[in-house]
Amino acid sequence: MSRPGLLAMDSFQLAKYATPVPCYICDGVNATSAELCRHCQAPMALAHQVQQSVTPQMVAVLGTTGSGKTVYIGMLTDMLSRYSSELQLLARGAFSISLQQATAGALSQCEFPLKTPNEPDRWNWVHSRVLVPQKNQKIELIMPDVAGEALMEEIEHPHSYPVIRAFLSKCAAVLILIDIEGLDEGCDDQDYFGMKMITYLNEMNSDAKSGWGSRPISIVFTKSDQCDACFEDPVAFARQRTPGLFKQCHERLRRCRFFASSVAGACAFEVSREGRFRVPLRIEPRGVTEPFVWLIHQLTGTK
Amino acid sequence: MAADVQTGALALTGSIGVLFAWIAPAAEGSWCGYALAGTSAAVVAGRWAFRCLRRGTGMATESGDAGNSDHGATGKVASSNCHASSGRPAANPTDVDFSDEGSLVNHMLSQHRYAILLRPQVAANLRREHVELALSELDQHMSLVPSGDVILHPWRPAKPEESDDPHEGERLVSVEALFLDRYPITNRQYFDFVASGAYEQPAIWDPEILNAVVEFVDKTGHPGPRYWENGHYPIDEDDLPVVGVSWYEAMAYARWAGKRLPSDAEWVKAASWPVSQPDAPPTQRRFPWGESMDRSMANLWGSGPGCPVSVREYPQGTSVGGASQLIGNVWEWTSSPFGAWNCRFRALELPLPMKSIRGGAFDTYFDNQAQNSFQSGDALCARKYNIGFRCALGVCDVTTILADNPAAEEAQSECCPVNPWGVDISSSDAAPDPLAELEKEIAS
Repeated sequence: MSRPGLLAMDSFQLAKYATPVPCYICDGVNATSAELCRHCQAPMALAHQVQQSVTPQMVAVLGTTGSGKTVYIGMLTDMLSRYSSELQLLARGAFSISLQQATAGALSQCEFPLKTPNEPDRWNWVHSRVLVPQKNQKIELIMPDVAGEALMEEIEHPHSYPVIRAFLSKCAAVLILIDIEGLDEGCDDQDYFGMKMITYLNEMNSDAKSGWGSRPISIVFTKSDQCDACFEDPVAFARQRTPGLFKQCHERLRRCRFFASSVAGACAFEVSREGRFRVPLRIEPRGVTEPFVWLIHQLTGTK
Repeated sequence: MAADVQTGALALTGSIGVLFAWIAPAAEGSWCGYALAGTSAAVVAGRWAFRCLRRGTGMATESGDAGNSDHGATGKVASSNCHASSGRPAANPTDVDFSDEGSLVNHMLSQHRYAILLRPQVAANLRREHVELALSELDQHMSLVPSGDVILHPWRPAKPEESDDPHEGERLVSVEALFLDRYPITNRQYFDFVASGAYEQPAIWDPEILNAVVEFVDKTGHPGPRYWENGHYPIDEDDLPVVGVSWYEAMAYARWAGKRLPSDAEWVKAASWPVSQPDAPPTQRRFPWGESMDRSMANLWGSGPGCPVSVREYPQGTSVGGASQLIGNVWEWTSSPFGAWNCRFRALELPLPMKSIRGGAFDTYFDNQAQNSFQSGDALCARKYNIGFRCALGVCDVTTILADNPAAEEAQSECCPVNPWGVDISSSDAAPDPLAELEKEIAS
């Protein structure tokens, strides 16, 4: 029938599940058990990790579709976590290594990684700890791989992707990737994109002290293996080939620097049953870490 | 000076005459070599046109340089600047007394052009001690790669979902015995080539590139590799591999030195050192030093200083045959086209025709792209900071046995049948015969 027994009153533990947890990106309230923010789709793991450590800073890598954001972040994290002595990067959480793994895996097989989906819940939010050995400093960093199409949609139609706006409003620094491939053919789309991006950021926060005018911004010309002049003098290249962007940066940004980078030594196209794809013929990264190192030094005040 | 050389050369007979004919593209004295062949007018006219072309571009019009009518002056100015700036070796052909066979041979040897001296028709007219000297140089600077089969892999292997065969797309290629440079061509070696006025000698360049040779200039507009200045390489970089040279420049150098570029199969054969097995494909090394990656053996990303180093470094990474730095430091041009062979499931579309490069460079990031089997490519006119080259020489193309040993000579002729000119005409990669090139030029 029934037997008397003692039952521990653990119901107080339910209280913590009832405590709302704010999303680290958009500050929206979520249940503790939520995996993704119900407002902006950012992973709630970020919020939980933040509770355990110092407040992370956020750095955005922005660019149009195909400008090389995924490759850039993947290679950067791989290089800094394996070989670099100037900065060292330690991933926090397995999901932060996934992007690095997918990118390195694809590039080693002479393929570019798959296109980042538009859905924010499928973006890869890299959370890592950056060590500056020379100064014995360390900072926490969140650096998501945002889809280019979603970014363009948000720039053209603000608030269409709340997560992007919320994220950018909290960013401490930005890397803007400019794909130089089209510039050689006389296409100015990348110049216009850069101008839009600078305008968007400035309109978001134009405060003289805390606004984007005073935050560090790296302008990175990607795929520069196709143009050695870009490597030799990125500023001169910007002045000549992206005059609109150069003017915007000159007039509106106080902490801005131009860089050139490339990952592939040469490229070609491969045609298979799946279609026609651009493929790298070999991987020899150039100028990948420099823009990031400069940003980190700007953030930490080490140089 | 040119007139003196010409007069002297015209007075020559016998072996020196033959030698002159062979070294024709080498130096100022080359005019007399051509003169001996009875074609001086055509060649002089060709050079004059070439020089005018360079003048027209305004790339190198300094007095005493390309614009100077005396070819010898080019070398002289270059070498004197060189001495003043960095104490690098002179490569001035006008300083050589061409009336003496010994001086000429020594001059050729100092330029690492022993391969020309070992051409059968030249060696047969040289004194024994000179052939011995040339053979000694050959032994010192080139490694022997025996003939045999080698497996070439496709640029990218088939994916598991495409084919169950792990060897899909692999080819078994037969390679004749050859000599391969032990080291990549260095700045110092290439300087000799530049200082000899080679950039103004149409005979050693591929005909299709003649119009573009005037654009093969350094940072200051002088003929030479892209990253040089004023026709010189940077100080203290004598032993660094020359980079910033196109495939055409590599080919021209090889011709000038009496050699050629290795083919893809030859390069892989030298690096992977296949061992034949009965009824089975040969087993090949993944790296020149063995089967597993060891970054201390080569200058690659993360293991070196992040730039090219001397060709003498990383001796522990030497191949079985004695060729150093096949992996790492700089990519190496080969004579084979890139993209012609891929697995049957995928076709490669190249933006421009490309030539195959092998071996990886100081900035090669992934281990699997620094293997013997990995192939990449670049455009023929690309002058990249991390692409250099080394030369090859068919064993059949040179006299490797001294003439007073009939038994050995007979043995060599049996194993390597050669045509009267000593050139393996069956090989598409064989270096063009300068005299044949000359005849073509006259005919045209």
